[in-house]
Amino acid sequence: MEETGKMYRKVITLCYRKIIDARSPGRWEKLVFEDSYAEFLIQSQLYNPEKKYTRFSDMLQYAPGAEKLHFLVSASVINYVKPLNNRMPDITNNLGKSFLHFQHYFFEIINSDIRDRLVHSIAINFCSSPLIWHDTVGDYLLLSEKKDNTLEEVQTDILQLRPFLSIHSLQTEQYD
Amino acid sequence: MERKRFLKQGMAALGIAFVTPMTACKKNDATTDNSENGGTEGTGSETCAVAPTETEGPYPSKNPSAYVRSDITDGRSGYKLTVNITIGKVSNNCSPLEGAVVDVWHCDADGNYSEYSSGSTSLHFLRGRQTTDAGGLVTFTTIFPGWYQGRATHIHVHVFNASGTSLKVTQIAFPENSGSALLTVNGYNKGMKGYTYNAQDNVFADDTTGVEIATVTGNTTNGFSLVHNINVP
Repeated sequence: MEETGKMYRKVITLCYRKIIDARSPGRWEKLVFEDSYAEFLIQSQLYNPEKKYTRFSDMLQYAPGAEKLHFLVSASVINYVKPLNNRMPDITNNLGKSFLHFQHYFFEIINSDIRDRLVHSIAINFCSSPLIWHDTVGDYLLLSEKKDNTLEEVQTDILQLRPFLSIHSLQTEQYD
Repeated sequence: MERKRFLKQGMAALGIAFVTPMTACKKNDATTDNSENGGTEGTGSETCAVAPTETEGPYPSKNPSAYVRSDITDGRSGYKLTVNITIGKVSNNCSPLEGAVVDVWHCDADGNYSEYSSGSTSLHFLRGRQTTDAGGLVTFTTIFPGWYQGRATHIHVHVFNASGTSLKVTQIAFPENSGSALLTVNGYNKGMKGYTYNAQDNVFADDTTGVEIATVTGNTTNGFSLVHNINVP
């Protein structure tokens, strides 16, 4: 984009909300499911000592401090996220190759129940490092890794947006 | 009547011709929108996108919670503190309880706990979990806690049995006598002005026998050592 002699480019970050529940296939997902549920059972006792509430949603509503369970239970997935080496899971370019790196992630409990593990579901939100959004080709975003040197040839990827993947931030950046 | 039937059948035929493909797309969308499907797998990629051609990553192995470590410092600055907690079982004459899971957590030198900060990866500093040995002992390496408004310096402890059932939630208090570690550390940069001493603390004030107060020795050069016993039902 050119405006009064200045060049602009769109810098975006993408966030992928990976949801894991009792039906998620895959060993990694099953381990995350089991361990996050076990940690939920452990940590929720702090806010629900008499087991008055079985559902996480009721704890959130009636047990003061229960919102901290998102953070407290997140420790159970850290050692599963680390081996990903910041590579965004599941999201591939149109060649079917993984190409995104996440800069940060955050964990959330969607639902849980101390008496019914089938209710347990969690999400890990992976947010990418900054990307240049060059153009939109059909249903695809034409993207490249953000680099300072704007003149050199860049390697691009095309990506189709899909459910649970969103443009998380947008910044229009001026460059020379 | 004939015409009506024709129209009806005609519409049905059109329905098959046009609605089915749309339904197929809808079905796909609906599948992907359903969070109960596990997100990853329940996406459009199942039917619409090119299958991943990546080499599989390393086979995932079972990993312990990030709490499971003895050194819980995580780079927090402060005077080194070794915490030795023994767990006794009241129903067994207070003899050491082996295999109990002990969680501890406390604030940093400035009085802050680890928790979610907006949009960033979670930090779990100064939080740890260990399992008691045959002597009922767990040991943590950490820093001497700071303090925050309204509370005496303390360490939180949650004791579980081996299967994770809560046995006791409690807190460890610090001695406040002249020459004590607490007064030596002097609240780090804060000093002790406005400090809540144990007698005024809303948790420790009823501890008239001092059962919640640990034994703390050491100095600022070599670090401090805390020893405490907690009896559980």
